[in-house]
Parts: sequence; structure tokens; C-alpha cells
Amino acid sequence: MNTGHVISGVGHIGLIGWMFLGGFINPQPTPFEVTEVAVISGAEFQAMIDARQAPAEITETAQPAAPVVTPDAPEVDAEPEPAEPETPPPVPEVAEETPQEPPTPEETPVPEVSEVAPEAPEPPAEVTVETPEVAERPVERPADRIAPTPAPAPEEDVRPSETAEPAVTPEDTGETVEPPREAAVVPEATDRTVTEADESPKAAVTASRRPPARRPEPPAPRRVAETPTPAAPTESDTDAAVQAALDSALSSATADVPTGPPLSSGEKDALRLAVQGCWVVDPGAQSAGVTVTIAMSMEQNGTVVQSSLRMIGSEGGDAGAVDAAFQSARRAILRCQKGGYDLPADKYGQWQEIEMTFNPERMRIR
Amino acid sequence: MSMRLMIVGLALVASFGLSRGLEAEPLRITIEEGIIEPLPIAIPDFQAETGEAGQLSRDIARVVAQDLTGTGLFREIPASAFISTVSDFGAAVQYADWKAINAQALVTGAVSVTGGNVNVKFRLYDVFSGAELGAGLQFSGTTEGWRRMAHKVADEVYSRITGEGKYFDSRVVYVSETGPKDDRKKRLAIMDYDGANVQFLTDSSSIVLAPRFSPDGNRILYTSYESGFPRIYVLDIGSVQRRVLESGEGTMSFAPRFSPSGQTVVFSLTTGGNTDIYTMDIASGQTVRLTNTPSIETAPSFSPDGNQIVFESDRSGSQQLYIMSSTGGEATRISFGAGRYGTPVWSPRGDLVAFTKQNAGRFHIGVMRLDGSEERLLTASFLDEGPTWAPNGRVIMFARETQGEGGASSLYTVDVTGRVLKPVRTPEGGSDPSWSPLQK
Repeated sequence: MNTGHVISGVGHIGLIGWMFLGGFINPQPTPFEVTEVAVISGAEFQAMIDARQAPAEITETAQPAAPVVTPDAPEVDAEPEPAEPETPPPVPEVAEETPQEPPTPEETPVPEVSEVAPEAPEPPAEVTVETPEVAERPVERPADRIAPTPAPAPEEDVRPSETAEPAVTPEDTGETVEPPREAAVVPEATDRTVTEADESPKAAVTASRRPPARRPEPPAPRRVAETPTPAAPTESDTDAAVQAALDSALSSATADVPTGPPLSSGEKDALRLAVQGCWVVDPGAQSAGVTVTIAMSMEQNGTVVQSSLRMIGSEGGDAGAVDAAFQSARRAILRCQKGGYDLPADKYGQWQEIEMTFNPERMRIR
Repeated sequence: MSMRLMIVGLALVASFGLSRGLEAEPLRITIEEGIIEPLPIAIPDFQAETGEAGQLSRDIARVVAQDLTGTGLFREIPASAFISTVSDFGAAVQYADWKAINAQALVTGAVSVTGGNVNVKFRLYDVFSGAELGAGLQFSGTTEGWRRMAHKVADEVYSRITGEGKYFDSRVVYVSETGPKDDRKKRLAIMDYDGANVQFLTDSSSIVLAPRFSPDGNRILYTSYESGFPRIYVLDIGSVQRRVLESGEGTMSFAPRFSPSGQTVVFSLTTGGNTDIYTMDIASGQTVRLTNTPSIETAPSFSPDGNQIVFESDRSGSQQLYIMSSTGGEATRISFGAGRYGTPVWSPRGDLVAFTKQNAGRFHIGVMRLDGSEERLLTASFLDEGPTWAPNGRVIMFARETQGEGGASSLYTVDVTGRVLKPVRTPEGGSDPSWSPLQK
């Protein structure tokens, strides 16, 4: 019983229904024209075959025309252009990364002091001052808590986009895009300000900007009478039976688990950064040479089902080191969840089960 | 009709297959960066289960806390921040109260004293998991040995949380020093790893050097100038009886170290102006020469498996580190950096070699892998020398001497990351430390 069953079931029901309604499958048999076929003579049949072969030759001539020309044309014009596409890549790369995080981690140490960080002109000056502090003593980082003061600034930056929303919303659920944005800002202020990595990604990664999935809403469970009438089967009865079989098969899947599209890279990064902010690594320990993979089940509110936490794999180290690495990773997961990780509720099916790999290789002393 | 049924069947099969595919895919996340910070731990005073245990229960909790925080891996949460109190060792833990103050681990304990005997029991809790971390344990001993019981509790906590080996319940033998540089008095002393319970093993009538523990922790090798020439002695710690390891007339023997079996000693012997490395069977006194070069070979140290020896030599023209078989033969140079390398010591884990390095007018304690790679200098000062490994291979103790006429030598510890450097408090100055194995 799962989301997958529901999705596929609903999709196929829709497809089959469309085929029925659209006339692809006509319940009324089409009139047979057997007599006309029988009348065709051998000569006519040969003529008909010849006629079919002819167009095949025509298609051959047409083939080289279209596909071949298009690749050639750009090559001729574009000798200067190829250089352009090469230069732009850096730009798009930056543009792609900005929504994710790379630039923001550098700025994070600043916001941890004041919530005004989002303002554009200020960060550069502050960043230069504070970065060395962080670099000097990663160890002594106080890791104090900041009073839960929600940062309103990011919201302001986002809201201007609301004006553009009317143009985007023409589809179905423009409303669902807004709530996740607001929800993504709130937890940002409540977490411990342990590392620079914690806050910046959260500011950068909000809800997915993709349009909501064009997934049909789950239909109300249709119940078909379970006791079929023993009367002689007619066509309509057969259809009903088929429908009932479909429904019963699909009703076995859980109906209330929203799946949605896969999590965006930004959403994954937000989760990763939330956990790594609590993952305490001792770079001198033998456990720093151990990679562990932990599986867990999640509640719909973003909290971890604690009893589901289990190690499903490890690499390196002896038993003691592996156990220490597992305990450390488990503490990180449990400690940073607070009231639940900030994950998109409409994609619950995508993160209902999570496998998290903790690899301290980059932190190990050398 | 049959066509429709076929379509429906295909649809069902496809939907089932599709759903199975979706079901089998959990969200996968990889985390490669964490944070480096001490783990907050709460250690309330242990419960006194008898009237005589009042002060002891507090003292034991303090020693446990000092052991743990001294590693740099733990941060003790002050009692003033506690929300709930532990009034009964057997009572259920209010995890929410400890979570609220961000305690990730909680140690509770109880102490009872009957006559001259002390019983200490403890439990360790993983607060955020809401469960006990390992089973509770209890230790019994004499009231005089209460610090050892505290160290044992701390060892259990440390080992269960970090996965590292234990080392708090161990001792250090060293050369205690007093007086000015030109008239310094030296005598052998033994103490707990943290500088407590110092006892002197020799008087200061003659110079003593380089004491080394036996693998079982019951004997000590050291060099003494009692006869006018340096000679190697074996001292039984329990009886404080000693005997000299005989070497030939007109020779000087020094820098001794036990083999892992405890039956053989490897040392340097100078004869005819040339210094080489030898082994001696303690029982029979039979010696075997391992090196035979005109250069100076000294400071040998066995690998934990006893198959190899790391030592220093100036055969290349400068003092460098080499590794050879424990039966002698061809040696492989492992140090190639600038400066001079000396006093190598093989880690009990077997993965690293600690050494003293002199370069650009400064001394360093450092570590490197067995092939010489990943060299890390952990300290830097006017004079750092004589590294010795803790039993778990995680911490190094060494001697640091300050500059000037009034300069004195004292003991320090540093962990292999170089992040946690701290002095060891001894009643007098100290040098040439040697860490014992973990006590039984």
C-alpha cells in the first residue's frame, strides 16, 4: 500500500477512461465491411501494395533534407559563436549555483551575529572582518544560541515575486507555492548557529521553484458493490467488474501519502545542511575513518521515527570505531530535528524513507 | 472485449511495476562536513549512598569531569544550568530536562563506603536518543584508590562515546627535576597520568635518564650514571628492587626500550666511538647487534607487533628516521623534511610514529605515517622533546623546557590533532616521560 500504487492506478484509470470517452475504444462495434474486402481482386491488391511502396521511397529522399541541414547550418554561421557558448558557461554556472548555496556559506558567519544579513551592501564589509575569526579557531566556536528571532528580510526579497505570480499561476495551484516559502524562513532562526554552513543554505534554499506537479489529485475512493449480480454477464456488467477489479487493486495502495516530484537539489541541500550542523566529528579519532549509512523513516511532520534509525552499512574502522561513528551520526540526526526537519509536505512520499551517508573523509586530519 | 481486457491487464501490471519501483527508492543524502566542537556532557555529583561517602562522591564526579574535559572532546555543563536533579541513582532520567540544556550525554553515579572499601557505580545516558549508552558498571576498591575508580568510570564514558581506547587509568614514569640548570637534581618518579599521586623511585645522588615502562607495567628500564658511565638498569616497581643489565667493559649503553613481549631489550651501545643498536635477552643476557655502520644509530623503538624497529641515524649526513626489521638488516629512511629528526616512538595503534624535530631554531613534536607521509608538527617551542604515547595512541606526552638561565623543564600533553595542548601539573619539573600501559 503505497503512493506508487495510487499514482500509477489513478494515471491508468484516467488513461483508460480517456480512451473510452475519446472514442479510441468504442463500445459499439464498428460496422464490418467484409464484403468489400472480399471483392478485391489480385490485381487490385498488387496495385495497392505498389502504391504503399512508392511513398516509402519518397520518405527516403525527405530524410536527408531535414535533419542533415539543421546541424550544418549552425556550424557555418557559428564559427565565432562556438566561442560564445564556451564563455557563457561560467555565467550560467554561477547562476545555477546561487540558488543553491556556494556563495552563501561564505556569508553565513555574518548573519549569525545579526539577522540583517540579507541586505546586499553590508555583507561584503562584514564578511572580510569575520571570516578570519572562523578560520582561526573552528574548534573554539562558541556555538551559542541565538534567541529565536525570525528573520523577516528574506521574506521581503521574496515577496516582490508575488506580483509576478499572477502570470505564473494560470495553471492550477499557484497558492501552494507561497506557504512553503514562509515556512522555510521560520526554522532558520531557531536552530543553533553552529556553523556558517547552517544559515546560508537555508536562506538560499527555500521551496522548490518548480511548478507544482501536474499530478491529478487522488480520486475519492470509489466503492463498487462487492457482490456481483449472478445475472448473465452483459457488456456493461463486464465493464463494471473490470472497474471494480481496478479499484480494488488500487485501493490497496495508501491513498493519503502525497508524493509529488522528487526533491529539488535545494531541498536536499537544506536537509543535508541541517543535519551536518549537528554532526560532531572528532578528526583525530579512529571513527573519523569510518563512513556509515543510516536508514530512517520519517513522520509527515518532518520528525524522525526514532525506532527506525538503523545502520545499514559502514566502511572502514573496527567495531568500536564503527559504533562510535554510528552513535555520532544518530545524535546529529536526532539533535537537529528539533520540531521536525523542514521538508516539503507535498512531497512526503519522496522523503518518507531516507538513507543518510556520513562520510568524514574530508574532515580527517592528514 | 478481449482487447479491452488486455489493455486493463497491461495497465494493472504496469501500475504495479511502477509503484514497486517508486516504493523502493528512499531519499539518499550524503553528508561530508560536520562540526568540530566539544560534546556537552552533564556530570552531576554522584549520590552518596552511605554517610561516609559524601565528600568522596563529589570528588569522584569531579575527577571524572576533569578527565573528560581534559581531552578537549567534552564540555561539562555547569551544575547551575541543571533543570532536574538526580536524587536517586535508580530513578528514571528526565530526558527532556537534559535536552533543554543541550546535554548530549549524562553521567550519573553513586558511591558507598563501608570500612575502608569504596563501591562506585555509574550509568551513561545518550540524552537525545533517550536511552542508556551501554550497561551500568560498578567498581570496588579501597578508599585510597578512589582516584583510580574515578579514572575507570571516565575511561568507560570516554570509550563508549568516542570509540577510542581508554587511557585515564594509567601511570607515567618520568625524571623529576629540581634546581638550576647547572646543578639540576634528577630522580625517577611515577605518577597518575594526570600528575596526581607522585612517588619517587630513586634518589638524586646520580643522574638518571630515559625511564621506559615494560609492556605489563610492572618494570622500568632506565639509564643511570651511577657507575660513572651510562648503564641500563631494570627496576621492579612493586619492590623497588633493581639490577643492572651488563654490557662490556669500556662501553656505554643507553636509550633502552622493551620489546612488546617484555623479554627483550633494544638499546644503543657505544664502543670504540661508534654507536649501534643491539638487542639483549633479559633472562640470558645474550646480545645481538642489529646495525653495523660508522654512523650513530640510537633511540630504537619496537613496532607493536615486535617485527620492526624505528630508530634515528645520521648515516645520510643529517639525523633522520629509519625503519628496519627487528632482526636487523637493511633500513628504510622515512623522514625527508628539512631539519633533524630524533627520538622516534611507534604508536600503540601501529599507524604513526611520533618524533622530535629540530628545524629553524625551534623544536617540534610531530607525527608521521610509517612511510613518512602525512607529517604533522603538533607543537613548537624553544625545546620540546621526548614524546611518549598514551595507551590508546591518541595523546602524546612530552617535555618542554623554557628558555634562559631560569628555564625549567615540565611535562605537557598534546593530542594527535594538535588541538589540545595542556601542561601536566607535577610538584617539580619533569622530563623524559614514559606512559604506562592501561592498568588492569
